[in-house]
Amino acid sequence: MNDSSNPIGNIFVSYRAIATVACQSALSSYGVVGLAAKNLAEGLVQVLVKDPTLGVDVRFDDKHIKIDLYIIIEYGTRIKEVANTVSENVRYQVEKTFGLPVSEVNVHVRGLRISNID
Amino acid sequence: MSIEEANPTSPAGNPTGERKTLDGQGLRKLVEAGLVWLRTNQQTVNALNVFPVPDGDTGTNMVLTMQAAYNEVANSGEKNIGKVAHDIAQGALMGARGNSGVILSQIWRGFARALDNLEAMNADLFVQAIHESRNTAYKGVVRPVEGTILTVIKDISAAVDEARKENDDLVILLEKAVEAADASVKRTPDLLPILKQAGVVDSGGKGLFFILEGMLRKVKGLTLETNVAAVQPLSAMQIEQSAEEIEPGQDYEVVVDFRPRQELDLEKFYADLANMGTSIQVGEGDGMYRMHIHVPTEKRYTPIDYIMGLGTITKVAMENLLAQMEEIEQKTEAPKLSLTPVKPGQIAVVAVAPGPGIARIFASLGAAAIVEGGQTMNPSTEEILSAFENLPTDKIIILPNNKNIILAARNSAEVTVKKVKVIPCRSVPQGISALFCYDPDGDLEEVAEEMTRAIAEVETGEITTATRSVEINGVKVQQGEVIALLDGELVLSSHSLDEALLGLLDKASTEDRERITFFYGDNISRSEVNRLVDLVREKYPGHEIELHEGGQPNYQFIIAIE
Repeated sequence: MNDSSNPIGNIFVSYRAIATVACQSALSSYGVVGLAAKNLAEGLVQVLVKDPTLGVDVRFDDKHIKIDLYIIIEYGTRIKEVANTVSENVRYQVEKTFGLPVSEVNVHVRGLRISNID
Repeated sequence: MSIEEANPTSPAGNPTGERKTLDGQGLRKLVEAGLVWLRTNQQTVNALNVFPVPDGDTGTNMVLTMQAAYNEVANSGEKNIGKVAHDIAQGALMGARGNSGVILSQIWRGFARALDNLEAMNADLFVQAIHESRNTAYKGVVRPVEGTILTVIKDISAAVDEARKENDDLVILLEKAVEAADASVKRTPDLLPILKQAGVVDSGGKGLFFILEGMLRKVKGLTLETNVAAVQPLSAMQIEQSAEEIEPGQDYEVVVDFRPRQELDLEKFYADLANMGTSIQVGEGDGMYRMHIHVPTEKRYTPIDYIMGLGTITKVAMENLLAQMEEIEQKTEAPKLSLTPVKPGQIAVVAVAPGPGIARIFASLGAAAIVEGGQTMNPSTEEILSAFENLPTDKIIILPNNKNIILAARNSAEVTVKKVKVIPCRSVPQGISALFCYDPDGDLEEVAEEMTRAIAEVETGEITTATRSVEINGVKVQQGEVIALLDGELVLSSHSLDEALLGLLDKASTEDRERITFFYGDNISRSEVNRLVDLVREKYPGHEIELHEGGQPNYQFIIAIE
């Protein structure tokens, strides 16, 4: 839980809330065709429950948010540019939504999806 | 048969002629035209920036992507359109820059797929290729955002589909595509609220429109090099700033207000003006036009005579720019800061400088922005922030150059949306030493680490006058005495500047170092500086000694010993 102080009390934001925003903005980022589970165990859980925070890991170190994204990218796009864009988008969206500084967005490309073969 | 083969004498072709097919060479030339026209309008696209969404360099990114695409086929003599399209798509993919570049590369990829290994393209294939462009572009994203370049390619696809029912002429289809792109771009603010808030249209969509329009202009034989879209509202014309952009030979600035007798043919108007001079601007408001141009002395009346033929002139203003320039130069005796320009994606350095001379040194060593400030005038977080925001890149390194400013720099770094690294340099020499390790194209973290390490390699001496009597570190100081500080610590105090300076170098590990650099302040005369530096030269004959005007207040000297 993170908090931002304000004069009449505290605001608590859960990791899950942040992960949800990150997940949604990652999915609307061009070139990203899906998010992937971090590991097999998580993958199995995913089969049972549809989780809106799949493929997003959020950490907090008292001041900054750190986000890890596990994504699948469309085959035939320039991976580096897509990864840059998604990390920018996620950072911007999370900072705008929560007003908390994001110090890191690490992008892990977990796979490529081939929808057409040239 | 290609367009060009049909009209070997005029590559632009015959505007009324029909075109049923296009081959590889035809496509190559159209892509070149699209690239050139996009480049001409690059700044227009860049200006469509929805700050602070991190995509304010769309025009540049799309140009670079198109350039990479065109480079693949620039020297190719290939006639097979499938092969040419494939190479273009490959180039676009490899050179894709930014989000819009990636989408553009997908559009080309789809286009190429539809033409795979075909000799030439006809109307049906064109429609199919645009369809495939749309499909491929949409496949790249799970949740397409409408009101972007994606919407524009979708609308283009629908329009050419419709147009094909009545036509099999490629030129007409291209015309329809351009029309559809234009209309679609204009609709983007209705689909995407953030565009509406910012009062702009989608930049990627606009870029795509320019590419297609460039192709159409090429076919019609219109100019691609000059931006003709630039009729601005009268209120927006910024004529006073133009004095700085004077080119040699264009000595007179002529501004004419007029009311044309009939609707002005802007393209012809621009073309005619371009024959007379440079820096052409045209503004319009309420049927009144204002024309601004720089012309050589002997042609100073030509634009007036020319406009006389077009309508009624209401006002003429003429100014001799050369005389104006001389005046400006006299006023601003200090040479202008020549900051190092930085491109989007590169790392920019912001330096805090206590004086004009030091600012110039930082600028010449690679700083992209200077914030004024030092010991007695700490810059505000806001000043630092605005320096960050004004840079075209989002990777920034800041050199606070004073221990009191490091905190403000850190605060600014936390507030901004950009990635900022603060180098904890506590003095100007440390900052300069750090700047030597600056690499604009490196990895931000690594460059920052490297620069931070460089700080330790220099010792900083400072000479100033005590403002009150005090005893620190066992050094007794009387008000008005000259004091010397080494790396921020008070080391000695003396009645004479000579003693303080030489004493300071004595205390520093000068013997082990190679170079002493002096930055003298605005409170010491040049002759005094020379005398003192000569003393130092005598004492340290083996050292390399440099002298710069720092222009900082209060400190007679800031000294780097490295």
